[in-house]
Formats: sequence, structure tokens, C-alpha cells
Amino acid sequence: MKKRLLLLASLITILFIAACSSGDSDEANGTSNGNDEDGITVWAWDPKFNIKALEIAEESYKAENPDFELNVIENAQDDIVQKLNTSLSSGTTKGLPNIVLIEDYRVKSFLEAYPDSFHEVTGSIDVNDFTPYKVAATSIDDKNYGVPFDTGATGLYVRTDYLEEAGYTTEDLQDIDWNEYIEIGKKVKEVTGKHLITNDHNDFGIIRVLIQSAGSWYTEDDGVTINIADNEALKAAFEVYKNLVEADLMAVHSDWNQLLEAVNSGSVASLPTGNWFTPSIKAEESQSGNWAVVPIPSLPGVEGATHASNLGGSSWYVLNIDGKEEAVDFLTSTFGSNVEFYQELVKEMGAIGTYIPAMEAGAYEISDEYFGGQEIYNDFTKWSGEIPEVNYGLHTYAIDDILIVSMQEYLNGGDLDKVLENAQKQAETQIK
Amino acid sequence: METTNLNKSIKQKSEKYKFKPKKGLIGWIFILISVILICLFYFYPMLQALLLSFQSGAGVNLQFVGLENYTRLFSDPTFLAALFNTVIFFLIQVPFMIILALMFSVMLNNKKLKFKGLFRTAIFLPAVTSLVAYSVIFKYLFSNNGIINTILMNLSIISEPILWMSDPFWAKIVIILAITWRWVGYNMIFYLSALQNVDESIYEAARMDGASAFQQFFKITIPMLKPIILFTSITSTIGTLQLFDEPMNITGGGPGNATLTISQYIYDLSFEYTPDFGYASAVSFAIVVMIVFFSIIQFKLAGDKK
Repeated sequence: MKKRLLLLASLITILFIAACSSGDSDEANGTSNGNDEDGITVWAWDPKFNIKALEIAEESYKAENPDFELNVIENAQDDIVQKLNTSLSSGTTKGLPNIVLIEDYRVKSFLEAYPDSFHEVTGSIDVNDFTPYKVAATSIDDKNYGVPFDTGATGLYVRTDYLEEAGYTTEDLQDIDWNEYIEIGKKVKEVTGKHLITNDHNDFGIIRVLIQSAGSWYTEDDGVTINIADNEALKAAFEVYKNLVEADLMAVHSDWNQLLEAVNSGSVASLPTGNWFTPSIKAEESQSGNWAVVPIPSLPGVEGATHASNLGGSSWYVLNIDGKEEAVDFLTSTFGSNVEFYQELVKEMGAIGTYIPAMEAGAYEISDEYFGGQEIYNDFTKWSGEIPEVNYGLHTYAIDDILIVSMQEYLNGGDLDKVLENAQKQAETQIK
Repeated sequence: METTNLNKSIKQKSEKYKFKPKKGLIGWIFILISVILICLFYFYPMLQALLLSFQSGAGVNLQFVGLENYTRLFSDPTFLAALFNTVIFFLIQVPFMIILALMFSVMLNNKKLKFKGLFRTAIFLPAVTSLVAYSVIFKYLFSNNGIINTILMNLSIISEPILWMSDPFWAKIVIILAITWRWVGYNMIFYLSALQNVDESIYEAARMDGASAFQQFFKITIPMLKPIILFTSITSTIGTLQLFDEPMNITGGGPGNATLTISQYIYDLSFEYTPDFGYASAVSFAIVVMIVFFSIIQFKLAGDKK
């Protein structure tokens, strides 16, 4: 018995020592967590877009601050989300970057879940310089947390040669709604045999585009109250989706590579998506001159329906750790205020920001031969200013997953009102 | 006289063992290290997870909610769908794989078989591949214009490509095929090694009595392998209940949530949606309960009635 007590005692002592020592080492490492004074660490994804933009920003900032050092760590977006969640929830700041790129749909959940972990940038940037929808996406209660970056302004990429074959021009695609576009699509399909669009049933991007174009979202303006069952825009979007499927105008892909293949091989006639898709279209050089970008069709019969919407897009956030001042300075003097930098961005890589002075300075008036000489960047920025402002709220992806299942039920013959009512109930129980 | 002496010496011997505290202590110290490490890295986190499962909230704003997370489980359609999928995978895939592994092992155990090593390696090889790598390859094999569809169409078995990833039924089939491919060889190795221990003379005697190959298989091989079959079905059950990599990488849980597994739901709750680690750990404890439950059933079904 005594022995056991002794054993237990020694066990506890060792555990205690182990616990203490691990605490010590944390503290010791806390101060030198890779963010030493002259280096700013950034986590971002997509080397061709976001990281390239960072490199251009670094160059521009270095002209003024030659000692500046930027360590860009490239990770897939999913990995960044996961790493941020694990680090922030564990309460340790060890290994966290100074700046992180977060998608607009997702950022509110981070800001809400880890309220003290992000550094406010209110006052460091002039919010009037940025497109309103982007400011809404990066702020909570008038407090700005993000330096807005790219716009996800959407357009309808169309194959002009296919349209021509079916007897249409891009003029016929201006200011139409989805029902009219579906009629055009039927004709195109008849003549060319090509699907009108391609979509992944598991990716609800297109539905989000449609409802935001009518100024609606899954949640009310407070970002929390579920708005599914009585959401006219969502209903209309579901109907459009079903019409596209039933008229056999929608090809199906199941991942990004299949999407690229469908578009680049010429097996679809159009694609409504964010402007960041431009480089992927241009990757297929043989189709140069065969593409154009028009505004997306509007939702039929919905009040406040527009031709502008947003898909994706992300912004820069500064974490509340050592080096935040320098990080903020870097962001505000590049992404936050530098017109020349934005001109460089669009010239080098076709990235469109949401910085209004850059738009006004004519940074985007570049005609693109690939799109038949169309000034697509200018068009996108114009549409970007028309995007209805919505609050993405906390639960975009959770509701997405619920609605993806609802869509399957609806496509299989379910009654739309009932399907959405069920989704509303489910979302209300699931999301707290 | 002799017997009392003997008794005495036995008694002395046993007393000798009893009064050797040092020997015991050294033994304890040896296992102490692993005991501490296991406590630290297994039981302590488990305990923390259990405590966490009584809390709920976004990210770090956790609040104590008692058993609410567990009652929420039963009214959460996504969890119930994930549970349903997982049970389907487990009910269909585990028996299918076990039978296949048994067949392969008996075939490979055949003394007359040539190139045995080659076949064994070929069947075992999938088990050493990375889960993610093979999942991605399966995804491409079964893509809409992938090689499987091409072959089936060239053989005129189907006239239009099957949209494997977009159909709830076929998506489940793909997942089942994938995990079966990955794990058959692994289970087969257990059976093969067990078969080495089965005395050849038993089969010889059976043959002398005129037993057919089928009779030999069902009356000798299966009973002899019973403990191993039990072991592999329990490990496979646990593996299937924790299924994550394959649905994550091949179908992403889709279409809809037709291939969503419980583990993937935990991932979604923690990293995909606004993180609710409390509810996520309640879901993970649901897996624990299920594993215990199914393992007990398997023990009861297959175990000796002692």
C-alpha cells in the first residue's frame, strides 16, 4: 500500500514537473516565435495570385523601407483555416504569422470566435476608399479588422464563337434575366451541342452569387438570424438552378481540375464566376479572341435584382501579436493607399483590388486582346461598385452544406417551399 | 516427511518472491515511463475532451451547457446522416473485405501456387500507400471522363458515363471500393500468418475422410482462424467508424452529404464552419460509444461462450 502511495506521489511529482517545464519553454519561445523584429510573416494561398500580389507589395514597400523583410509562407486555404483554428483556440501565439489572408465568407466566424486575437485596423485605413461591400465584409460593428484585397466581382464569361453560331452577340446578353439566358442557352445547345455552364453540385458558389446579386444572403442583416424559408431570392435561385439542370444546360464537374478542363477544352459555352478566374481562362491560348465577359443575368422576378455580385475574394488581417504595428504599416502603405501598386498589380497579374482611388486613376483601362479587345478589368471594377452589400455572417459554409442537401431533394422532385422550410428548421437547430 | 519438506520449500520460495520489493520496484520504474507518457498523451487529452464536450460556443467563447451537446446529437440531421452513412459503410464494407481477405489468404496459402511472393506483395502493396495519395488517384480513376468510365463505355457495359461523384449511390460504392482495395491486403497478412500455424495434418485427415475443399474451408479453416477473424473485424470496424481520409479526398462528403462520415463531420464542425469544439468533441465521444458497442457485439457473436 505504502509502495503504491509512493508510486502515486512520484507520478504526480513528475507530471507536475513536466507540466511546469512545458509551460516554461512556451514562455521562453513565446518571445522569439519566428517573428523577430525585422521580419513580418504572412500566411496566404495561391502563388499565382495572392502570393504574387504580396511579392509586388513587398517590392513596393522595400523602396521606402530597405530593411523590411517579408516571409511569405504558402499554404492551401484549408490548411490555413485549420492551423489558425488550432493555434488560436489553444491560446498560444507561437508560430502564428503577423498577417493572414482570410476569405470574406469565413472571416466573421474567426473574428467572432477569437475576439482578442485580431488587431483592429480602424483608423489606419480610410474605409471610404474601398468598395462598401468589401468594408462590410471585413468589419464588425464599425470596427475594421481587415485591409481589403481582391474583389470577387462576378461576370459571365462567354464563348462568343458559340454564341455567334447560334445567332447571338454579346449585345443580346446585356441586361437579361436568367430565364431569358436559359432560352438562349437552349438554342446554343441545339446548335453547338455544348452545355451552357458547368457546375459542381457540391459547390454552392453559383447560388451565393445569385442571391447576393439580389442583395440577399442566407442570414438577415444581423448575420445570425437564418433567412431561408421566406427568402424570395433564394427561392428564385433554386428555381433557376433546377431549370438549368432540367433543360440539360448544366454540365457536372466534381473538382477544380475538371472545371478547368471543361472550360479550356471548350465543352461549355459560358461560366458565371468571379473575376479571379480570368487567368485560368487565358491559360488556353488557342481560344484567344473567342471569349468575352458580360454582366451576369439577374434573378427573374425578384425585387432589387442586379447584374453584379461577388464570389470569393479575401482580405488581409493582422494578428494581435508582436510586430503588429509594422504589419499594419506594411499593409496600409501598399494595399491600403498605394495607387501605383494597384496599377502594378493589374498589369503584372490582372488582379483587381477594391481600392476606389485606383479605379478612378484609370489603372484598369487596359484592353485585353484575349477578350477581343474588351477592357475587362475596367468592366469588372465598374460592376464591383454595384455589388449589393450583404452581411456574410458567421455561418455561410454551415448553411451551404445544409442547402446542398436541400438542392438534391428539390432536384429529385421535392416541393420547394417545404424543402426550404426544412432547411430553415435544420439550420436553426444546428447553428447556435 | 518428504511432503512436508517439499511444502516448506515451496512456501519458502513463494515467500522469497514476496519479499523482494526491490525487484518489483525496478519493474515498476520501467513501466512507469510508459504509464506516465500514456496518461499524459492519451488519458489526459481524453479527459479534457470529455470536459470539452459539456461546453459549447464559437471558438474560445465556450460556455458550460451540461448534456445539451449530447441531446443535440439526436436532433441534428447532419449528424444522423453521417451516422447512417458510417453504419452503411461498416455493415457492407467490413464483411465484404473480411471475406475477400479470407479468400485471398487461402488461395495464396496453396502449396502448389507459383510466384507466391509476387502475389502476396501485389495484394499487400496497397496497404503501404499513403491514404491521401491513393484517394486522389481513386478520385481520378472514377472521374466523369476517367479511365473507369472509359473502359466501361468501350466494353459497351454502359452507354453514358456514370457520374460517380455526383450520384449518392455510386459515390458510396466508390468509397467502399477504395477502402476495400486499400485494406484487403492488410487483413490478408493476418490470415496468412494464422494459416501457417494450422497443422497440415488436419487437412490431410479431412481429405482422407473425403471432405471437399468447401467443407475444409468452412469446417476447418474458418474455425481455426476464428480469433484472428474476430481481431480483424474489430480493428476494421474501428477503422471504418473513424473513416476520414477517403471521403474527404475522394468525394468531399458529397454529393449533398451522401458520403459524409462522422469523422468528417467533426472536421467540418471544428474547421469548416464557425468552430464549435465542444459539440465536435461530443460527436467524437459518440464514435467512442459506437466502437465499444460494436466491439461488444462482435465479441458476443464470435467469442467463446464462457
